Amino acid sequence: MKKASALILSLSVLLASCSGGDEEVGSLDEGAASVDEDNKTLTIALGTDVVTFDIHDHNNTSTEAVHDNMFNYLFKRDENNNIQPELVETFEQVDELTVEMTLKEGVTFHNGDPLTSEDVKFTLERVATDDTLQEYPNYNQISEVEIIDDLTFRVITHDPEPSLLHRLSRLGSSMLPKTYIEAEGWDYFLANPIGTGAYQFEEWVRDSQIVLTPYADYYEGAVEEWDEVVFRVIPENSTRVSEILTGGVDIAVNVPPADWDRVNGNAGTAMETETSNRTLMLILRATEGFPTSDVRVRQALNLAIDNGAITESALRGGGVPTKTRIAPGNFGAEESLYDTYDYDVEEAKQLMEDAGYPDGFEMTLHSPRGRYLQDAEVAELVGGMLQAINVTVNVEFMEWSNFVEMRQAGTNKDAYLIGLGNSMFDGAYSVDWYRSNRFEGETDYKNEEIDSLLEASAVNMDEAERAEQIQEIQRIADEDMPHIMLHQETVNYGVNDRIDFTPAMDEMIYVPSITKN
Amino acid sequence: MGSFLLKRLAQIIPVLLIISFIIFALVYIAGNPVALMLPDDASQEDIEQLTASLGLDQPFIVQYGHYLLNLVQGDFGESFRYNTSALPLVLERLPATLELAIAAMIIAVAVAIPLGIWSATQQNSPLDLLASGGAVIGKAMPNFWLGIMLILLFSVSLGWFPVSGRGTFAHLILPAITLATGIAAEITRLLRSNMIEILNQDYIRTAKSKGIRNGFVVYKHAFRNSLIPLITITALQTSTVVGGTLITETVFSWPGLGQLLIQAVNTRDMAIVQACVFVIAILVILMNLLADILYRLLDPRIKYD
Repeated sequence: MKKASALILSLSVLLASCSGGDEEVGSLDEGAASVDEDNKTLTIALGTDVVTFDIHDHNNTSTEAVHDNMFNYLFKRDENNNIQPELVETFEQVDELTVEMTLKEGVTFHNGDPLTSEDVKFTLERVATDDTLQEYPNYNQISEVEIIDDLTFRVITHDPEPSLLHRLSRLGSSMLPKTYIEAEGWDYFLANPIGTGAYQFEEWVRDSQIVLTPYADYYEGAVEEWDEVVFRVIPENSTRVSEILTGGVDIAVNVPPADWDRVNGNAGTAMETETSNRTLMLILRATEGFPTSDVRVRQALNLAIDNGAITESALRGGGVPTKTRIAPGNFGAEESLYDTYDYDVEEAKQLMEDAGYPDGFEMTLHSPRGRYLQDAEVAELVGGMLQAINVTVNVEFMEWSNFVEMRQAGTNKDAYLIGLGNSMFDGAYSVDWYRSNRFEGETDYKNEEIDSLLEASAVNMDEAERAEQIQEIQRIADEDMPHIMLHQETVNYGVNDRIDFTPAMDEMIYVPSITKN
Repeated sequence: MGSFLLKRLAQIIPVLLIISFIIFALVYIAGNPVALMLPDDASQEDIEQLTASLGLDQPFIVQYGHYLLNLVQGDFGESFRYNTSALPLVLERLPATLELAIAAMIIAVAVAIPLGIWSATQQNSPLDLLASGGAVIGKAMPNFWLGIMLILLFSVSLGWFPVSGRGTFAHLILPAITLATGIAAEITRLLRSNMIEILNQDYIRTAKSKGIRNGFVVYKHAFRNSLIPLITITALQTSTVVGGTLITETVFSWPGLGQLLIQAVNTRDMAIVQACVFVIAILVILMNLLADILYRLLDPRIKYD
């Protein structure tokens, strides 16, 4: 009997939540987001577990979001994305290949050992020389770290390296404790990681939770706001949303657009969003034999896609249409190409006719599903829009590992949908996707002008000139259209009213900046 | 009994061998994980180097031989996601899954036995119709959907239970109910039809005509004789439970085998996938063995020679 009535109740709940009307959902008696006000535990719901505590051997932003609280970098981006010294007190460019730096005094690891030049050398030379590490390609520009004294050292690169400080302010450049790791071994470190950060490691139950506690001797003073920080792993979207609605967690990452109204309408919770550094785009095949090898076809496809309609309907406003993947806040952003888009179906039709496709053609668009915000919906909308210029799009959805393999094997067809960020916050790493010899056999795009600009900018130590070179590449790409830019994503958090949390563009969840309301 | 047990245990070895072959062959067909392990901009050289160092360039039979040899030593390979050996990782998760599975079986049996007996003795009464109808719905509902509905109703709306995670007894209730529902439905239906069949047999009618109390007839004769098929179905349902935990654990963020397996499949962490499937297979085999032993104890007429 009880079971039957529970069933009927559940059914009616489902009907109410399916009907989609805001009022009906609001009328449900949810809204028990009541957390004990004095509770000094901060709970954050992640969608995926951290991958590892080997900071050199992963490429995962949500893992870095946890690590960020335990480790420090030599430099750090401030809220305006300008690079500021963090563990470094002073630094000076000695010559084109050498930067001399001095560490702050009084920085210690969680076991009490002081941070010294030895640790810097150990950390950076490991990732710069061990080619089995995932972060190796981002640090092998460093040839060595030369120790001057306990706190002073020189970072020396193989070639002039304009992005060095960008590299030293991100994932992969966290400072590791040399003595501790050499005495205890890597396996022990991975199970009991220590850093110099504001929070220290307490416990990691895989696929369940990571617990951190404040480090009493933190060089900037212990953080007293929270006695404990718990990162819980909740892969299922609806479960994560339910947790934020009931006050089970203080922050829930990646709340899907369909649930934004519920979180905002619920007593005690609200959505907080910020544009992320990730841009969604279509990568086109420029290989001979594909219609997309003709620049006029690429331009036509771009003109037939209404980026604004995509961000309005599929993303419910959660996205910024763009013509470049380098957003403001990144070095070398061409701001005139941001927050704008081209849409002109008539001109697109004309270009199609000029290119010899007055009756259109059929093309394949590969898309992952569930990897990016509303990715499947975006792919379908794009397919629908291209119908207006007689292009029939077969959208092929792929599970992520198959998608990766498709790209690796170069079996991509006319286009694929992908979302790309830039953890360096340096535009050079985004425009590198236009370099011709990087994607031979995959997209086969080649533009000699871009190639020579890339080559020149890679070793250009003149900041202003390098920025101009990167901007010029974006302007050329906007004409030549090897990739069709769609929009910059937002990161979307459900947040309990008891805390004050400002999301960051780099998707870090930096606990020392989160306070009680 | 001793020789029977030995024989049954000996049968497990070829079964495990076949399972190991199937698991390995499927993973082999699923393709090369190297692409996923390397960053976006890895060169062809990097790929070849890693492929060789993992032994993935060897012929199928050589790879399988290595795999078997390691398996015998309890080595299921390294998880590339966690950089640690796979088997301890899987065994670490086993208690959580067993806790959930056992709780679900207890709930299922506790609900299904009275429900099955009542509906059989009061055939076609409103209660019977409700129970039979409920069983059909219970069987038809996907675990995934049911779990989300229970969360919406009992956690979000009523606030009685925590939404997800493992820790207190309250955390166990909703996932266990989710998992138990389909199994309870299946057992109820089977018990009901079995009991009805038995209740219509001559010896029951004889017993009744001799004036033996109805309740006694039902429990002493009919229910007892339904026990053997009940045990069969309960043992068989155990495999359903283990399968069901895969989905239920994901919905409730329950840190057990199921969640580990699904995450491993998503990231193509094949060592973990293989170890998980192997451990699950052993669980199912052990449950079937247990069912066979119980048969023998309950009905000495059953012989296996």
